[in-house]
Amino acid sequence: MGRESGQKLAEKECNCTEKNEDGGKKVKPKGEKELLINRKISDKDMKKITKAVEGEIKFIIVGDLDLKSKYARSILVVTDKKIYAFDDAFDGEVFSKEYGEIKKAYVKRYYGNAMLILAEDEDKKKRTNFIRFSYKVASLYDAAAYFIENVASGKDMDEEMDAIEAAFEKQFSVCPKCGRTLIRPGAECMNCQSKNKMFKKMMKYVSPYKVPILIGLLLSCVTTVVALVPPYMTKQLVDEVFPNKDERMLVIILVALVASYIVQYGVGFFRSYILRIAGEKVVTDLRKDIYAKAQHLPMTFYDRTSTGSVINRILTDAAKVQDFVMRITQEVVIQFFQMIGIIVIMLTMHWKLTLLSLIPVPIVVIGAKIFGEKISPYYRRIWRRWSAATSVLTDTLPGIRVIKAFTNEEGSTKEFGSYTDELLKTVTSASKITIMFPHIVSFIVTCGSLLIWGIGGFEVINESGSVSPGLLISFISYASMFYGPVSFFANLNDTYQNTLTSAERLLDIIDAEPENDFGKGNKIDRLKGKFEFRNVNFSFDRTKKTLNNVNLTIEPGDIVGIVGTTGAGKSTIINLLMRYYDHYDGEILVDGINIRDIDMESYRSQIGYVQQEPMMFHDSVFNNIAYGCDNPHIEQVINAAEIANAHEFIARLPDGYDTVLGERGIGVSGGERQRLSIARAILKNPSVLFFDEATASVDSETESQIQEAIERLISGRTTIMIAHRLSTLRKANKIIVVDKGEIIEMGSPEELMALKGKYYKLIQIQTMSDQIRKTKEEERFE
Amino acid sequence: MARLYIDDDSVRFIRKDITLVDMEFYDGRKFEDLEPRRLFPRTGLGKYITLLDSEGEEKAIIRNLENLLPESKKIIEECLDEFYLIPKVTKINKITIKSGTVKIDVETNKGQTVIETRNILHGIKRIYGTRVLFRDSDDNRYEILDMHQLDKRSRRLIEEYL
Repeated sequence: MGRESGQKLAEKECNCTEKNEDGGKKVKPKGEKELLINRKISDKDMKKITKAVEGEIKFIIVGDLDLKSKYARSILVVTDKKIYAFDDAFDGEVFSKEYGEIKKAYVKRYYGNAMLILAEDEDKKKRTNFIRFSYKVASLYDAAAYFIENVASGKDMDEEMDAIEAAFEKQFSVCPKCGRTLIRPGAECMNCQSKNKMFKKMMKYVSPYKVPILIGLLLSCVTTVVALVPPYMTKQLVDEVFPNKDERMLVIILVALVASYIVQYGVGFFRSYILRIAGEKVVTDLRKDIYAKAQHLPMTFYDRTSTGSVINRILTDAAKVQDFVMRITQEVVIQFFQMIGIIVIMLTMHWKLTLLSLIPVPIVVIGAKIFGEKISPYYRRIWRRWSAATSVLTDTLPGIRVIKAFTNEEGSTKEFGSYTDELLKTVTSASKITIMFPHIVSFIVTCGSLLIWGIGGFEVINESGSVSPGLLISFISYASMFYGPVSFFANLNDTYQNTLTSAERLLDIIDAEPENDFGKGNKIDRLKGKFEFRNVNFSFDRTKKTLNNVNLTIEPGDIVGIVGTTGAGKSTIINLLMRYYDHYDGEILVDGINIRDIDMESYRSQIGYVQQEPMMFHDSVFNNIAYGCDNPHIEQVINAAEIANAHEFIARLPDGYDTVLGERGIGVSGGERQRLSIARAILKNPSVLFFDEATASVDSETESQIQEAIERLISGRTTIMIAHRLSTLRKANKIIVVDKGEIIEMGSPEELMALKGKYYKLIQIQTMSDQIRKTKEEERFE
Repeated sequence: MARLYIDDDSVRFIRKDITLVDMEFYDGRKFEDLEPRRLFPRTGLGKYITLLDSEGEEKAIIRNLENLLPESKKIIEECLDEFYLIPKVTKINKITIKSGTVKIDVETNKGQTVIETRNILHGIKRIYGTRVLFRDSDDNRYEILDMHQLDKRSRRLIEEYL
């Protein structure tokens, strides 16, 4: 097919389309294969393209930058004959390359943009900067580069299209509502799944306690009604009892007032107690829920969110919501009923005066709305400043040893000081508004009272008969009582806006996408331990590729050593195997099953993972070894410690297994911590084991003890070990050499030595440095 | 090997590709295909520019671009401009929030675009009082160099999120 077929395709393009996030379309011409295009382009442009290109169009990528890195549309068109770049920067000029001219095609990542480069030689000396794009379409261009290079090297075009289709499918897998990328096409969007109104979400926490809350509300009604009695009694006193000098009635009224106060305060106490407990329970549930949710958030969340910010949400924000819930359950209802009750009474007493007293209300309501809009950004800013200050605390206090070692106490204090000063500045700006508003409300309300005094006073003086002195005094009392709830509701907006900011932050966690566990329920009995990576590409963010087209197979029982320089991507391989990150391209299989399709808990429970810096908790040695195991037998723990070469040093501790370690394991040495973590892994009895530089930071003697423990542990289990010291890999039957995110060598140690490549060089370097180290250690010993 | 610092005019640069240069010392030493990169992309735009070879190994560091020959300085600056795309926001047209995604329609020195971020806290950050950095959901970067240079409306729109 040549130019003609492209034209034909364009003519038929509008028959059937599917929208994607950019308003783009997946074009499906009738009776023909779907044309892959990531964004909508006009019919005119499509015609221009089909006119200009030669061959059958395989796919089109519409980008957003021109070659001069200005925002403009650029289009890559890949046909079965050539590759075309349409770039507005060159006035409609079209660049093209034939597959025969290309030896290498790759994406060069810059900062905030990238370039598709086509090279005519293996060394990439004769290269063309073909098309520039932002990271928005980087994953499509990655796939395009592989496609072009593979097709240029003679691979089957139709087979290569599978990867392109998968890349486009992923690009199309976006939530139509919020635009987030879905883990797979058709998957439910975790963001929108629970995106209901905040109130509804908060009600979920309130509903379990509806009985005590309802009882509290009923009691509130009682206290509200009783609270309305005293002003009425005042009217009786002024208008009836005093003019008639009725002593008997005076006593009766006083007794009635005492009774009403007893009911008001007695019932009030009981009501407050019930509601307080219910409120505390609501917030405890909320706090537990947030913590539980935080446990299931993916590593990407923690990569971007400071611990201080999370702690701030669990403690401070939950407390703010608690305060608000308390106010809602205790005061709002009372104030509301009181307001209604007073209006009814006032209307029955004197409707004209009642209408007068309502005049300030609309002014206050409008004022509260304006206030809410003004104050809301301030509360967000305060939250951010507060969170930043908390982050400094959580960052620096655990590192107090480093601060002292570098005598940076003053610097650290200054840093915290500057954050709190920033906070103070924002709070000061907010205070102007928050303090001014209640005063304005009070002023307006007071003016309302003056209006009643004025109009009512004239009526009393002129003795028109409709207003008696007692009625006026009583009315003023009710009006004051009425303005109380009005001010309360106006000022509630302040608390509400403040709480809203906290609630938003809490929902940030509650609504955050948890780790994807699409295989939930698909449990596996025991892993055999065969792992496969198929065309795996991964980057923590789009700025730099961490793993680049990784393909490898690990057989059951293999002991695999991963070596390479720092930052080569070794730990990333383990991170992906641990399913800490799921947003990679390609597939990772275990025993022939995609790891994403296995129940996460069941999968991780079969893996023993020993890290370079093992995490110990502020708990006993016993509990640290038994971490994650339900009630293990004491002797199992001792056995595990024995195998891990840890029992001896534990036995020497004054408190033995009951020794409580400090935060993050303070109290035992690095090597001892490592042995405890190995004991922990042994107790778990995993099917497979991952070691991430387990002996990197210990001396030679400790290393040999740990090594001994590791060798006991790994027998019969698939084991993947990352090691800087290659001597730790003496049991490995397979070595994988990783460099700049790519596997450059793979095979048995003997094969790689014979290859005399990178592994050989590493061994040479390390043998030399080991000798030097040994000599130095011997010298030191002597 | 001691780190090679360049802070005088003893060297000249020849543009090789959009982001690559050749470096020649007057004593005859020559390095090819070096990529200038900022060691401090946020804070030191013209200072401490590292020069990496095709293997990513550092060959030298330029202490301050101002100390280079004008022609060399221009070449390095052009390379850096090609490498670093951090559009400078000059005006904010509109900010909308839908389903937790913030869309900021902006004018930049590179043209009009829409910054999309799903997390205000991570996506928009104010540094040094008046500078604002944006990082969108695709990890593209943008910045407002000085808030005070924006028009009043733009400032009001963005201030709500700072």
